Amino acid sequence: MARTGCAITGIGRTTFTRRSGRTTLAMAAEACRAAVADAGLTMPDVDGMIAFQAGDSVGPLSVSRAVGIPELAWNIDVLGGGNVVANIVATAGAAIDAGLCRAVLVYRSLNGRSGYRFGTSTSRQQVGGEMQFDAPHGYLVPPQWIAMWARRHQHEYGSTCDDLGQIAITQRTHATANEHAINRSPLSLDEYRAGRWINEPFRIYDCAYEIDGAVAILVVGPELAESCAVAPAWLIGSADSQSGDGWTQWDDPTSMYSRHAAPRLWNRTGLSAAEIDVACMYDCFTYTVMATIEDFGFCAKGGVGEYFSSGRATYGGDVVVNPHGGLLSEGYIHGLNHYFEAALQLQGRAGERQVPDARRALVTAGAGPYGGATVLSADRP
Amino acid sequence: MDGAVGAVAAVAAPPSSEPPQPLPDLDTEGFWQATARGELALCRCHDCLLWVQPPLERCPSCAGPTSFQPVSGIGRVFSFIVVRHPAVSGFEHELPMVVAIVELEEQVGLRLTSRIVGPLEEVEIGSRVVAELVALPGGDFHAPVFRPT
Repeated sequence: MARTGCAITGIGRTTFTRRSGRTTLAMAAEACRAAVADAGLTMPDVDGMIAFQAGDSVGPLSVSRAVGIPELAWNIDVLGGGNVVANIVATAGAAIDAGLCRAVLVYRSLNGRSGYRFGTSTSRQQVGGEMQFDAPHGYLVPPQWIAMWARRHQHEYGSTCDDLGQIAITQRTHATANEHAINRSPLSLDEYRAGRWINEPFRIYDCAYEIDGAVAILVVGPELAESCAVAPAWLIGSADSQSGDGWTQWDDPTSMYSRHAAPRLWNRTGLSAAEIDVACMYDCFTYTVMATIEDFGFCAKGGVGEYFSSGRATYGGDVVVNPHGGLLSEGYIHGLNHYFEAALQLQGRAGERQVPDARRALVTAGAGPYGGATVLSADRP
Repeated sequence: MDGAVGAVAAVAAPPSSEPPQPLPDLDTEGFWQATARGELALCRCHDCLLWVQPPLERCPSCAGPTSFQPVSGIGRVFSFIVVRHPAVSGFEHELPMVVAIVELEEQVGLRLTSRIVGPLEEVEIGSRVVAELVALPGGDFHAPVFRPT
């Protein structure tokens, strides 16, 4: 997708908690209702839905029934993690461009803390496929894989745990102004260093904060976008890159999927990192931000720690990275909350944490060999 | 699972204290048959001699037939972590433990992710290691681990 005439208009979400006490269906329905109401539309205006999950949530047919949509002209339920988010947002726009539907709800709903947790594996007894070689060593969860990659970056570029800490600290500072964030306590470098080890070189503060909750965004075509109650956040470009090389065979873990997706995205949009005001960088772990910030061209290899510590990634700097606090501090809704935040910022509705004159936002989604990214603009393409 | 395509969550299954076991298929069973014999063998193309890990029925480069051939078991640590949080069941009493990506000497980029045994402080990127086979608790499998030399 080079560009579509589509935009995100309405956005919705539940509260983010450690234990929702609700079904993923109930939360998805709440977020979808909120997104449609936010756009000033009604349910009959919605004829498409797309969602992603890992066997831990509900599909569009259940949710459409729950919100009173009798039938959908188009729907897809994608099996995947944060790596598929940019692709499903782009696919929603492409479906509208192709005339298959006119308004698509994109949602993610999960009990990511009280239910199935991505960072643990306590029930998988037999592991097939490529991971059968990792299973005997207990090497089965993302905080291991991405720590392994971070160590290699430290070896090749001299980056440090303190550099990773600067990312966590900056994002936590941003979260202090976000009432929706699960963790709003300021974080110092000393506190970061005192954090317990998960998998060296990762401490607890390097890991996304797993939570329960749901987010929905409404993607619509240009005519509908101009008539909504909120300003459109235009989808002006998207690029994906997914590799089968996996977490062990990928040749160079100092870069991620973004080494391919970034040039693809900048070529399609004619833009560069310098023209981005808000960067919602997928941050399942601090190192994911480090590697992708480099790949997207915000700073040179090995320079990310200084980029954050010197204020270039916050208000008054080059770009504001994760003004909501990101998955590290706002909470882990698998990256769809990054699209919520990007739209909110471009619509000028972010309140205390509003990035001044935010016109363009980069949203990235995914880590390691798998991911994609979107550029959103306040200006109609 | 983050980024892992096709990951399936076992939402309601009870926690276990047994380590996970491999589930071989027709393409991978040769690896486990070899470790059961006390041998480390990896998938290799008959025609172009490319080592292929994870194994495939046919070579991804030339589509030639493959079989499992012995490797030296000698390699170097490409990267490593020190696992301290018991995220995966079955290893609670073994932490901290080192897990490393080991690049084998047979081919650039030919890698296995395995535990490193021996003193933790001896492990660093570039360390020379050699494979040994150990029985996995809770099942009938043997797996390679690596020891610094």
